[in-house]
Amino acid sequence: MSNAIGIIYANSATDNLQGLALKRPIAAVPFGGRYRILDFALSSMVNSGIRTIGLVTPHHYRPLLDHLGAGKAWFLDRKDGGLFILPEAIHGFSENNHTFCVTDLYNNIEFLQKDFAENVIISSGDQIYNMNFKNALEFHNDKHADITLIYSETANSDKQTDGVFLEMGEGRRVTNILDKKSRERGLFLQSHFVNMLIIRRELLLNIVEKYSGIGCIDIIDIFNSNLQIFKIYGSLTCSSIGTIHTLKDYFDRSMELLDLEVRGRLWLGGDRIHTKFKDYPPTQYTSQAKVSNSLIASGCSIAGEVVNSIIFRGVILEQGCKIKNSIILPKCHIEENAQTDYAILDKSVKVNRENIFKGSSHNPLVVFKRTMV
Amino acid sequence: MRKQECVAMLLAGGQGSRLGGLTRKRAKPAVSFCGKYRIIDFTLSNCTNSNINTVGVLIQYKPLQLNSYIGLGSAWDLDNPYGGVHILPPFLGEKEGSWYNGTANAVYQNYEFIDFHDPEYVLILSGDHVYRMDYARMLNFHKEKNSEITIAAIQVPREEASRFGILTVDGDARITTFSEKPAQPDSDLASMGVYIFNWSTLKQALIEDAKDLGSQNDFGENIIPHQLKQAKRVYAYEFHGYWRDVGTIESYYHANMESLREGHFLNIFDPQFRIFSNEDILPPHFVGSTAKIENSLVCNGCIVHGDVRNSIIAPGVYVGKGVKIRDSILLPYVKVHTGSRIRKTIVGENAEIMRHCIVGAEEQVIPDQEGITVIEDNHNISEGSVIEAGKNVYRPQII
Repeated sequence: MSNAIGIIYANSATDNLQGLALKRPIAAVPFGGRYRILDFALSSMVNSGIRTIGLVTPHHYRPLLDHLGAGKAWFLDRKDGGLFILPEAIHGFSENNHTFCVTDLYNNIEFLQKDFAENVIISSGDQIYNMNFKNALEFHNDKHADITLIYSETANSDKQTDGVFLEMGEGRRVTNILDKKSRERGLFLQSHFVNMLIIRRELLLNIVEKYSGIGCIDIIDIFNSNLQIFKIYGSLTCSSIGTIHTLKDYFDRSMELLDLEVRGRLWLGGDRIHTKFKDYPPTQYTSQAKVSNSLIASGCSIAGEVVNSIIFRGVILEQGCKIKNSIILPKCHIEENAQTDYAILDKSVKVNRENIFKGSSHNPLVVFKRTMV
Repeated sequence: MRKQECVAMLLAGGQGSRLGGLTRKRAKPAVSFCGKYRIIDFTLSNCTNSNINTVGVLIQYKPLQLNSYIGLGSAWDLDNPYGGVHILPPFLGEKEGSWYNGTANAVYQNYEFIDFHDPEYVLILSGDHVYRMDYARMLNFHKEKNSEITIAAIQVPREEASRFGILTVDGDARITTFSEKPAQPDSDLASMGVYIFNWSTLKQALIEDAKDLGSQNDFGENIIPHQLKQAKRVYAYEFHGYWRDVGTIESYYHANMESLREGHFLNIFDPQFRIFSNEDILPPHFVGSTAKIENSLVCNGCIVHGDVRNSIIAPGVYVGKGVKIRDSILLPYVKVHTGSRIRKTIVGENAEIMRHCIVGAEEQVIPDQEGITVIEDNHNISEGSVIEAGKNVYRPQII
């Protein structure tokens, strides 16, 4: 498995996360009680035996680097390989439609040049999955493919309106790559490209050098216009939980974690999701605590009521408070008799006693970082 | 190698036989404590927080878990280019070589290790105490008093004093007498088993002790009394804070349970003086809709569907539906299946209790009452078993 290196595009930003991604890239948004979204892509690569990983970093990279450090928690503080920071080409564009911008790679082309690996695995850093790339890489090698695009089957094709879909012929050779527009013309495909791909390193270098002059062009568009030249195949995965682009994505994917089947796919298997060590003590329940159907991280102190919620590390819930259908990010402090329902509290929010926060399932309320209310 | 001011020697070789089933498979310092910790975490974290970067860990009994747990010491930030954690097992020399025969003998056999680092001072620690202490302060005291040997001491209740090594001091904190487990204690100042020696003094003392064939080669029994007889400058550093010896099932149980009390002395939540541990990477714990958790500690990776009260649930534990857990300590990766009831029990690591078992005292007992049940690591209790209170349940040995 060592004949591959990884690249994660951790620079996707959005305005659709209502402040959660205001000062951090999507990759650095906390998720699932103790993780950040990037942890899933990073851990998947590390668990697949990849020890050289380049990270395309965004404009607001402080939270991301704060989390990563030297990559110790992912076993990436190494002599041979390790974690490489690849600063993105264009700073400051919070909303662009390119997932895999070629210019970002061109600016960091040495990372690709100096390695000897046969293949490069590229993934976006804004999705939740736990996948071992071993099977896809075997498939890639068996087919002698230039490029392998990883896709998942969407059961209900109406649900996923965003993204790119694959049309495949014999032996899963990709014959067409379709975007949203062609879907609007009535072409429904179930093979949804999940923004993970394997490409031969030499080919990637050629592409990057050839197309670098054009400006920011998505590598998928380049594939699309060269379908006859490149040998592109599709490889199926069922380990993707979803991409986080909107607040609804964030809320729904988070709440799905309360489902055993989803947690089973994501983190109850042999491949663990790694994250920054905090060494918090165990969570303390007082005799007034009432918790049901919730995920609770370590270092919390719980004296209130928690239902259908996700509580991150180091949260303090005082007596009589009621947390329902909410996501409480690290180090929040909720005082006596305060209530939240369908709310997302960003890090270090302090809710004074008797306050009530209410959103709705379609429109959860977001409270900004370090707010005192 | 950079010269170190102070090197710590951590005595972690004891069998800890009084912990019964808990130390059948592992050395006492590697026994789980307070959920996510292991006993040795406290001493190693103390070293880190006191800026002591060179730690020799003297091991002997069942070292597998302890060695793999300590590793390079990176979990405690002790993977340091100057110093670091060194595991020191007994070894063979050209002609000689033997097991560690007493605490002083263990250090004596490793005098080359200490000489290699060439320190001014040597800190002798024991791996089976739970406490939070800044050794740097004790070292300052040692220097201020121009002491040759400093013993950390803590006040204990008079009636319990005969369980400890008792110190008598003069007005300047200089120790006048030291008696190991005296029947009639004349002071309530007990030795914590934490010593700072000038390396030159220690070296001399160890050589003399090794020559004395009648000696048990023990710090408390031999070295300290002998040095006092020689009128060495031996001082007592009085420590105010939380310190527990967890050498017996009862003391282990109570020290764990104390952490549930509010305003607990060993404040594991203090961000200024953190207790580090080499924890397994596990997701947050899940509390099901049938669960009830009161006055308990719960760690990462647990799945709780049952009713848990006054208990400590270590990482990776599964508590099934209809399970009742009271006043108990569940060590890492224990599984308790549907309908079982557990009271006042320490369930060893990886043990599995099948459905509808009854373990420990059934009726309401005061938590302070003895009668603690212990289930050994990896033991499998078959469906419907009833285990009486206060029983030690060992796994049948397969040879």
